[in-house]
Amino acid sequence: MADLHDEIQREIAANPILVYGKGTKDAPRCGFTLETIQFFNSFGYPFEVVDVLENMPKRQALSEMTDWQTLPKVFIGGQFMGDTDILAPMAQNGELATLLEKTFAGSGVSPTIQLR
Amino acid sequence: MAGTGAARVVNPALVIDTVITALLRETMPDAAVEVYDLTGTMDHLEVFVRTKAFAGVSPLDRHRMVERALAPARADGRIHALQIRTATPEEPHG
Repeated sequence: MADLHDEIQREIAANPILVYGKGTKDAPRCGFTLETIQFFNSFGYPFEVVDVLENMPKRQALSEMTDWQTLPKVFIGGQFMGDTDILAPMAQNGELATLLEKTFAGSGVSPTIQLR
Repeated sequence: MAGTGAARVVNPALVIDTVITALLRETMPDAAVEVYDLTGTMDHLEVFVRTKAFAGVSPLDRHRMVERALAPARADGRIHALQIRTATPEEPHG
């Protein structure tokens, strides 16, 4: 279990936007994972999707770390953010754009889509 | 019907909104609950919950409260896919 926690910590540290979901970016295997991929595509920042569909121990570790039972799980800047239920209202009121700007500030990465 | 002794088959899809409302009111008695069938197949639901229990609670924790309340229906498969929106009585309908 400790190894899995380390693995997860490494992944969220390495990816400013990280989605744990079912399936991959190219082949999502769950409607909510697809929705989350489309959601982040619309922001134009790079993001990574880690497929944990078949990895029950890792799903268990993730659920324990976040107190969140469902997939997908989104991390931004190392912070657990829930899923699009949480992020969609933040996108609407501008909080998410601000958070993403802050997260990517100084990284040399700029969005491929202008948000404002 | 009374006294026939025949078992009545109930389609759980027909009562899922009642189930969801009852489960939420166990921990949030004042909850006003709206259940939406997003796909027409009753397997992709959206629930809107309005309760004063959400006052001062972060969106993540509101979500956790709803999931915790609905855990029994999750566990037995009555709820498969669920989107959650929340508000306090003072907040606009999200």
